[in-house]
Amino acid sequence: MTMTSQPTWSPVALSNVIDPSTSTGALVDGAELVVWRDSSGKAHVWEDRCPHRGMRMSFGFVRGDHLACLYHGWQYDTAGQCRHIPAHPQLEVPQTIRMQTFAAAERNGIIWAGATADADPTLLPAEIAGLVPVRSLYADCTAAKALKGLAATPLPISADAPTVEAITENYISLTAGPIRLLVAIQALGKEKIALHLMANEGAPVAALARYAQALRLTLETAPAEAA
Amino acid sequence: MSALTLYNYELDENSYRVRLLLSMLGIEHEIYSVNMLPGREEKSPALLALNPCGTLPFIKQDDAVIFGAEAILAHLARNHDAAGKWLPIDGPDFSATMMWLGFCAGPLQAAIKAREVAVFAVGGHLERLKADARAAFRIMDDHMTLRQIEGHEWFAADYPTIADLALIPSFALSRDFNIDHEEFPALRLWLRRFRRLPGFITMPGIPDYH
Ligand code: FES
Repeated sequence: MTMTSQPTWSPVALSNVIDPSTSTGALVDGAELVVWRDSSGKAHVWEDRCPHRGMRMSFGFVRGDHLACLYHGWQYDTAGQCRHIPAHPQLEVPQTIRMQTFAAAERNGIIWAGATADADPTLLPAEIAGLVPVRSLYADCTAAKALKGLAATPLPISADAPTVEAITENYISLTAGPIRLLVAIQALGKEKIALHLMANEGAPVAALARYAQALRLTLETAPAEAA
Repeated sequence: MSALTLYNYELDENSYRVRLLLSMLGIEHEIYSVNMLPGREEKSPALLALNPCGTLPFIKQDDAVIFGAEAILAHLARNHDAAGKWLPIDGPDFSATMMWLGFCAGPLQAAIKAREVAVFAVGGHLERLKADARAAFRIMDDHMTLRQIEGHEWFAADYPTIADLALIPSFALSRDFNIDHEEFPALRLWLRRFRRLPGFITMPGIPDYH
């Protein structure tokens, strides 16, 4: 699987919604990924496909530092190497049974998936201190439409459209008065996106969560061709 | 007083709701397994004489029958939970519990129906039901997102109630009709929390992880 048309780093979740020893699925431009944390809390991103019979690893579960497939219990270590096959417990598992892995990083309260296993960490957005999580918002629209909507919608408290600053191609900052909202845009597939929202400390988080909820309605109901 | 008997079908989601509360409250009971598929036994004269609606689940104790999952949950919580928490009877906790119980009997029915269409191959418009189920899950996720921001872990109160218990199965079983959990991060955390409560049990379609 290649994701060459994709940015080097794609946001896949807010850091605070994936507990240690848990996993979830994530889509990046149609590619199915599994995002999981080992028991030490370190995040990993792999292709969401078990090498055994292709079942989804995101349905599986974490055992210590292994991600286990739900179906026949094959277990993979943090490097993606298969370590345990329950039907053949004595077997020294061949090196060839391994996961397709991607680089994973955490920056500004967000888990980012690399387009490849060796994605360049210097291409991650610069660190911003003092951010708090708001929420992730999943919406059926294009990234372009979301950007337009974000730029046009006043943030809570203020009446004017926010000042927009592009940090990277999929990461923007919106500022209005005392509020700074950072938006990481995940392209899931055709007309499907997720916006991962973090705000400056002291920002009205509940109001921002409601703002996002209302924004989703706009993004999904306004006619697609509206300029 | 004779033992409480639950008339249920193993793969029926509403039957699981009642089994779950029976387990979490540790209520002694007997089970009558109804041959719902393929037998449609719940529509047989013998069972219609007990529950004229021809639905599952229902419970019977002595001569009293209670049908309807939400009513059974309320009945069991009211009579078997000494702490009075699963069904709080005072103040805003009562109101919120009833509201979300109503949501289970209302908008969330789309999820229950979608699963029946997908798993039991009964008639129904799956894509429309799935869209409605997704809309219901979004309402729930939005609610739990705000609850979390406000420092609460459960739907209606600062402790789990029958509202949480009534809502959980549809979300936990959503993969049966091909709705993934990825879009609902607040519900994922809530499901994990609920799974850790004492007495939690699964049903086919909800992984056991063991
Ligand atoms: S498909 Fe994963 S262990 Fe068999």
